[in-house]
Amino acid sequence: MPDQPPKRLAVICTIYRYLSHAQHFTDRFLVGYPCGGHWHRPNMKVVSLFADQSPEGDQSRARAQEFGFEVYPSIAETLRCGGDALSVDGILIIAEHGEYPNNEKGQKQYPRYEMFKQCVEVFEQDGRSVPIYNDKNLSYSFEKGLEMVADAKRLDFPVLAGSSLPVTWRLPDLELPLGCEIEAALMVGVGGSDAMDYHALEAMQCMIERRKGGETGVKAVEMIEGDAVWEAGKQGRYAPDLLVSALSRSDSPQGYTKDDGRTQDLVGTGELPRLVKKPAAYFIEHRDGLKTTLLMLNGAVSDYCFAARLNDHPNLQSTQFFLSPTPPVTYSACLVAKIEEMFKTGRSPIPVERTLTVCGILDHCLTSRQQSGVLIETPDHRVQYQAPESSQHCRD
Amino acid sequence: MPHRPSIAAITTIYHKYSHTQHIVDRFLEGYGWAGTHHHPPMDLVSLYVDQVGEGDLSRDRAERFPQMKIYPSIAETLTLGGDTLAVDGVLLVGEHGEYPTNEKGQRQYPRYEMFQEIVKVFEASGRSVPVFNDKHLSWNWDWAREMYDTAQRLGFAFMAGSSLPVTWRTPSIDMPLHAEVEEAVGVGYGGVDSYDVHALETIQCMVERRKGGEKGVKWLQAYRGEAFWQAHHDQVWSRELFEAALCRSHTLKPARDGFNHIFPTIDELKGIVADPIAYTYEHVDGLRCTMILMNGLIEDFNFAARLKGQEAPLSTQMYLPMPPARSSLANFFSPQVNNVEQMFLTGKPTYPLERTLLTTGLTAAGVDSLHEDQIRLETPHLNITYPAPETSTFWRY
Repeated sequence: MPDQPPKRLAVICTIYRYLSHAQHFTDRFLVGYPCGGHWHRPNMKVVSLFADQSPEGDQSRARAQEFGFEVYPSIAETLRCGGDALSVDGILIIAEHGEYPNNEKGQKQYPRYEMFKQCVEVFEQDGRSVPIYNDKNLSYSFEKGLEMVADAKRLDFPVLAGSSLPVTWRLPDLELPLGCEIEAALMVGVGGSDAMDYHALEAMQCMIERRKGGETGVKAVEMIEGDAVWEAGKQGRYAPDLLVSALSRSDSPQGYTKDDGRTQDLVGTGELPRLVKKPAAYFIEHRDGLKTTLLMLNGAVSDYCFAARLNDHPNLQSTQFFLSPTPPVTYSACLVAKIEEMFKTGRSPIPVERTLTVCGILDHCLTSRQQSGVLIETPDHRVQYQAPESSQHCRD
Repeated sequence: MPHRPSIAAITTIYHKYSHTQHIVDRFLEGYGWAGTHHHPPMDLVSLYVDQVGEGDLSRDRAERFPQMKIYPSIAETLTLGGDTLAVDGVLLVGEHGEYPTNEKGQRQYPRYEMFQEIVKVFEASGRSVPVFNDKHLSWNWDWAREMYDTAQRLGFAFMAGSSLPVTWRTPSIDMPLHAEVEEAVGVGYGGVDSYDVHALETIQCMVERRKGGEKGVKWLQAYRGEAFWQAHHDQVWSRELFEAALCRSHTLKPARDGFNHIFPTIDELKGIVADPIAYTYEHVDGLRCTMILMNGLIEDFNFAARLKGQEAPLSTQMYLPMPPARSSLANFFSPQVNNVEQMFLTGKPTYPLERTLLTTGLTAAGVDSLHEDQIRLETPHLNITYPAPETSTFWRY
């Protein structure tokens, strides 16, 4: 088979410096990445780049010089490579990191929607669309996220978005059976809002979307913080055995383990409330009746673990989403393999509706938090989709 | 109600992140297993600690778990202060603590000596119980062989070895049973006579599953420093397998500033790894294996093998959530403890002692070759034959 010419890629990012998302992802297209036990060099070439901010440590110019691409002052020029028509085969929008204001809900207003819309504008003007990878959440705003996905449908181009957590290694390598009946699911995460709760929600979503009937949308959400989280546990709003199960997958209990190395049953010993000064609980009610919970437990652990109870299954299902050390952040290679697949095949192996679902859940949960934890009905959240049949996480 | 076995632990030292702490704590406190906090269905009733000093945790543990008594001798620990063996299983954890190092650089942990004390009680009591020996059997090959033979003679279940064969794998794969393995390489890190045995066990737990089973090892040669780079250049071991193993690492050091994951050139490798070490050895059936320590480049244990008729190598990482950098718990001890628990419950080892007898011999041969100007050593004493367990015993649930 004759060699295909390399696909031409444009990168639209907020900042490009060491350990920024732009560096993690773009570099893999420049220098390759490990995949299936060999060092894979994509048959793709970054030809143009736009960086919104150039702080100290900016690497975009040095990379452009070394790898022979152009840095352009606008998104349109980046997509047209300085010419008058779209001249790339795929776009990476990587708008994570950089200085952007927070809104009143505590959301960092990364300009993903704005960048995406400028790409769409070029697609419309030039009468042609190409696949877009949108790093992390679609937008802090569900309304904007809905519009992005609607644009992609209207102009018929694939979008891959989201977190690395759904595609990283799992310890153990658990995948819920497609079409399973889930009675309850719980996720434990750590880190700040709205950066890390997003990752945790998407990790949970990639597991529960495999349930019978697929995803049906979200009926209501509620987010509470502080001692109310423990009270909610006592009232049975989340199952203690699911919490034990998720925490049993953690490699990083704090407290006594940090002191003297001992293993701990943080729930059984009652240590959890002592360690977590400001817990947060995100309660999600899906339209098919499934209720799920995300607990953000800063101070208790430092990893991301999931547990679910399946109907007619004697044991709880649980796993850890493995975030490997930084550097080299091998889990970002898992996601780059998916991005490359989309650029090659013209279809995303991961449904963008997964990210849209989480986009809506998080945005509404943060509204609930802003309103002191009230229940928020979510009539606008009718995102429906089926999970991909084959597993998309790293397992070979 | 089923009988709950009583277990004794014979240890060198008990401080934070010592092997004793990792292993004994799991019996006392329980540990995360199969999606719950699992408490072993047995009681750790007695403990011997050879060295008690600053940072000792044995007294704290004895206070918090009053069912566990500390005894001043190994014999009393096994007899619970009485006249005869009074436990149903023994943990022997002779890792960490201050012990002399010999002229070859081997730390002389008293595993053999402790084992002999245990056996004395078995013989005096006219009865033996299962024993688990943490890590390799002894720094001294003759002693290791004697330990093996003693267990055979007295007929007690005996397990030993590293946690590498039983920990998580990324990807979660095993060597297909009866595979035709053409060559295997393990790339790890750490010191001679300490982490080389982990890397050797990483390789051995995979290649023992090959067609015909294990037949022993004929010779071994170590390479270090410049001799390593020359051997690497000459492809004494497969470059392809070496690179495949590095592609499974989660800790590959960036070869260039400003990049977080970039595959190193040979010149960059030489700049990063000041003291590379390899043990190359040939099995009796002709299989060639190489254990490589790349300190400075990686901090994990990776495996790659070329199988007959398969274009791409089979490769994986034996993943250790190693504290304190990557975790707070050394959870790779959980599958090890779980396997030992099964032996205590059933009286049957879940994986063969011969594996660790062989890696013990390979470690000693590697140390000897390094000590003797990296010469090739014939290893007729490593004519160790055994079949691999059919069932995989690594952590995957």
